[in-house]
Amino acid sequence: MSGAGRRDLIVIGAGPNGLVAAALLAKAGFRPLVLERRPIVGGTAVTEEFHPGFRASMVAATAGPLLPSLVRDLDLARHGFEPIRPPVRVFAPSADGRALLLSEDPARTASDLAAFSPKDAERFAQFQASLAGIGALLSPLLSITPPRIDRPGGADVLRFGKLGRSFRALPRRDAWRLLRWGPMAVADFAAEWFESEPLRAVICARGVAGSFAGPWSAGTAANLLLAAAADPHSGGPGGFVRGGMGRLSEALAAAARAAGAEIRTGAEVVSIQVANGAATGVVLAGGEEILAGAVVSGADPKRTFLKLVDPGEQDPAFLANIANLRSSGTVAMLHFALSGLPEFRGLAGKDPASALSGRIHIGTEVDEIERAYDAAKYGDFSPRPYLEATIPTLSDPSLAPAGSHVLSVRAQYAPYRLKTGTWTERTPELAAAVVRLLAEHAPNFQDRILGMKVLTPPDLEETYGLTGGHIFHLEHSLDQVFTMRPLLGWARYRTPIAGLYLCGSGTHPGGGITGASGANAAREIVRERKKKQGRR
Amino acid sequence: MSERYDVVVIGGGHNGLVHAAYLARAGRKVLVLERRHILGGAAVTEEVFPGFRFSVASYVVSLLRPEIIRDLDLARHGLEILPLDGTFTPMENGDYLWRVNDHAKTRREIARHSKVDAEAYEEYGKAMVEMGRFVKPILSMTPPDPTSLDPRGLWELLKIGRRFQKLRPDDQQNQVQLMTMSAVDFLDRWFETDVLKATMAASGIIGTFLGVRSPGTAYVLLHHYMGEIDGAFRSWGFARGGTGSISEAIAAAAREAGVEIRTEAPIAQIRVRSGRATGVVLENGEEIEAAVVSSSLDPRLTFLKMVGRKELPEDFVEDLERYKFRGSSGKVNLALDGLPEFRSLPGAGQHLRGAISISPSVEYMERAYDDAKYGRFSRRPYMDVVIPTLTDPSIAPPGKHVMSCFVQYAPYHLKEGNWDDQREAFGDAVIDALAVHAPNIRNHILHRQVLTPLDIERVFGLTEGNIFQGELTLEQLFFLRPAPGWAQYRTPIRGLYMCGSATHPGGGIMGAPGRNAAGVLLSDTKRRRA
Repeated sequence: MSGAGRRDLIVIGAGPNGLVAAALLAKAGFRPLVLERRPIVGGTAVTEEFHPGFRASMVAATAGPLLPSLVRDLDLARHGFEPIRPPVRVFAPSADGRALLLSEDPARTASDLAAFSPKDAERFAQFQASLAGIGALLSPLLSITPPRIDRPGGADVLRFGKLGRSFRALPRRDAWRLLRWGPMAVADFAAEWFESEPLRAVICARGVAGSFAGPWSAGTAANLLLAAAADPHSGGPGGFVRGGMGRLSEALAAAARAAGAEIRTGAEVVSIQVANGAATGVVLAGGEEILAGAVVSGADPKRTFLKLVDPGEQDPAFLANIANLRSSGTVAMLHFALSGLPEFRGLAGKDPASALSGRIHIGTEVDEIERAYDAAKYGDFSPRPYLEATIPTLSDPSLAPAGSHVLSVRAQYAPYRLKTGTWTERTPELAAAVVRLLAEHAPNFQDRILGMKVLTPPDLEETYGLTGGHIFHLEHSLDQVFTMRPLLGWARYRTPIAGLYLCGSGTHPGGGITGASGANAAREIVRERKKKQGRR
Repeated sequence: MSERYDVVVIGGGHNGLVHAAYLARAGRKVLVLERRHILGGAAVTEEVFPGFRFSVASYVVSLLRPEIIRDLDLARHGLEILPLDGTFTPMENGDYLWRVNDHAKTRREIARHSKVDAEAYEEYGKAMVEMGRFVKPILSMTPPDPTSLDPRGLWELLKIGRRFQKLRPDDQQNQVQLMTMSAVDFLDRWFETDVLKATMAASGIIGTFLGVRSPGTAYVLLHHYMGEIDGAFRSWGFARGGTGSISEAIAAAAREAGVEIRTEAPIAQIRVRSGRATGVVLENGEEIEAAVVSSSLDPRLTFLKMVGRKELPEDFVEDLERYKFRGSSGKVNLALDGLPEFRSLPGAGQHLRGAISISPSVEYMERAYDDAKYGRFSRRPYMDVVIPTLTDPSIAPPGKHVMSCFVQYAPYHLKEGNWDDQREAFGDAVIDALAVHAPNIRNHILHRQVLTPLDIERVFGLTEGNIFQGELTLEQLFFLRPAPGWAQYRTPIRGLYMCGSATHPGGGIMGAPGRNAAGVLLSDTKRRRA
């Protein structure tokens, strides 16, 4: 039946947001057709075999986490989604051979921190409470459509009124904090709270994860506060998925299918057809044309408007603004197949399987992370990048042969454009730097390596369709969030082309696997399409 | 011997003097107390070397509010602004970029580097004027308190929102981006010529501990276009006789309005009795009573040094301790017996009469910042250089020149060593960086004065050498300046006000804090007097 007839909705891309949108649209009575370029669903949330017998979550390693309402409404557990919450959030070996541990259990965190600074151990609970308060205030923001600021409607005023009230309900001190912290550099923010350098570095990492910004860049504290909206634990995301992130996508796909959506893989959309200012369908790589009442793009805004839609159908000023969006990636992913668990320093008296079960933070000083960023500013990568590693096999042995392990690393900063050489030439150099750095903290790391897979920003662009290799589609910065994501005036999932919608990470609230962009977009699409049908 | 004043103003800088003048014009009995032997604070002219008079610290007029010039009739009191025409940027490849006030000429010059940019420059200028129009009224308002339930404050915020809504969509986007982006990211949207972006972005980092790629630096780009809107005179200029002439003109206006001014009167303490300021005590023990004390000093000096922690709420002290100064600039003043000869454009042409910007590339600017980030002065610093004697020969012996080099970055907190030991090395780095472009400079130097941030702190009483009395970063602007909840010129001590650059709208020879604070103080005390 595919290809024949006209579809009511086409969703481009079976990433988490596209699948969430499809599932919710199907539940609302539409029959969406999801078209995925790759042979598997998932976009950046995929599990793939990178070495015989070893599988890894190739791009996103942890869930954002997914909005709890989605898990419930789409009945994801029934469709095979099983979150794993390891006991430790962060393990951060420090330069002096000790290691900092942030655990799920606050009491344990406090007692571990006391070894570094009794003062910090004491302040941590306060920090956690303050962050949780602000996170709770911001968390409803994830699930709203950014208001129109040119002509706010009644609903917008009401929503803002509510937000204003909850802002005023914050203790006055926290209200001021929110205003003051937002534009701050996360390095200043961390220094206001804590005195021990390893802890400051761990806090800073949350402000710069995935960003083209260093801890001393203004506005990076806002990233941390927004992350707190999705997960108030001050250690940052710590949730894995059994079977890897791909399993989450498969569960979303199953939920979408169960609700009535159709999903085609290996179906690359090369063009969105537009006539008289309205989207009429898509053309696939093989030349197949599919007509549709509306098209929902989970691809990033640059790919959507600069590649898929004919420029002749678009306002040049709008296109110029899209082209100016900042989407230069800074992340490289490295996956290692290991013959056994590497022995990290700083684990004396601790159970390694538990201590290493969360995220492993390699960046012992704030300035070291900043220096790694400096290199990227000048179009290079640092010989000492900042690393965030995970060993998912500790909580999910199914990803590798018995006794062996997978270690996945997100290395920052790896700029999309190198000033000297190409990524093809220089990938081995980056890999060597990462291995060397890991070996500083886990001396036997190198001996355990059986195989390795590196994804540089151009790889992320080519394989996963991320323009510029940016894992969040667009940089998360004050000028590209909320009512400005992707552009001021176009932050409500609609586009200048009637019947063309955006539902990917390039829309509010953006990247991290939360599914919120897809859910918000679906809500807006249902509202608009229903109104249209009503008029007919 | 003490007689009672309505208001004692601490500090005879330009803000203190503006503040005092407005208060006296409203009939208050006002005394200004200045620590140094001359008035002006950072806006002073001093004969540093015999026959050579320097605008020692602040060296150009940019944003002095036109309403202040008008209200205080500063022209009659001797203020004369001479145009500072253009910005000349020598480049490392032997070329240069030279922008002047003549629009057509600048367009041709930019077209030499990029035709696209010449077109964009036009559009950019228009957009900036629109943005400036939006921001201008905010400079002269008292920041509302967004956490209070005071309907007046909410109304003010709402009004800004309404005005924002009325902007064209493109301008709305520009406005938001100006407030949030880095200068370079913002300029990247418009231009492709690196040296143009570097030189324009430089205005965004002056006086801050930020790089041209740090978010929040785009906003200051606007300041260059404010002057155009004011219309009174060109956006940038010299005061005839040096920057001190501005302070002298304001002081003359203040005296005429009845203000009493005392120099060499350093204050040791602000007297507080049961939560209320009652006067000041000078370092020599003299006590002066006043109904109201208004301080133009930064909050650290005012509260932590002169009031004392025990009189202050704990939260407020905590906020003041977090208030960031982080001086980042130095100044090198040179007495010359000849003019520098730039390799890229030899001769003593018009290009020497404007600003000479040592900002050859974005990378150069950013590397200068990287040095400072890790606690050392820039080996190759960014500089804004002027030779005021070409416009106003009266300030040096015939045939001789003074040259003022504003230098960034010079972090107050050095990672290794101290400024007293590194002063001359810093001076040498400045001369070296100049000599890259004008090698003959070394042969013409008669005298050299090097001011490190530490010197700026010592001489001008600017904590950590920050020329704006505290960083102009988003978290220290508007209703957050200088502390959350205390951005309306009032303080937790009754009868104590703030009127310096550490209050909204911040530093630069603008005079707006002094004037805004006078408005608040007058309306508060009118009620009480009535």
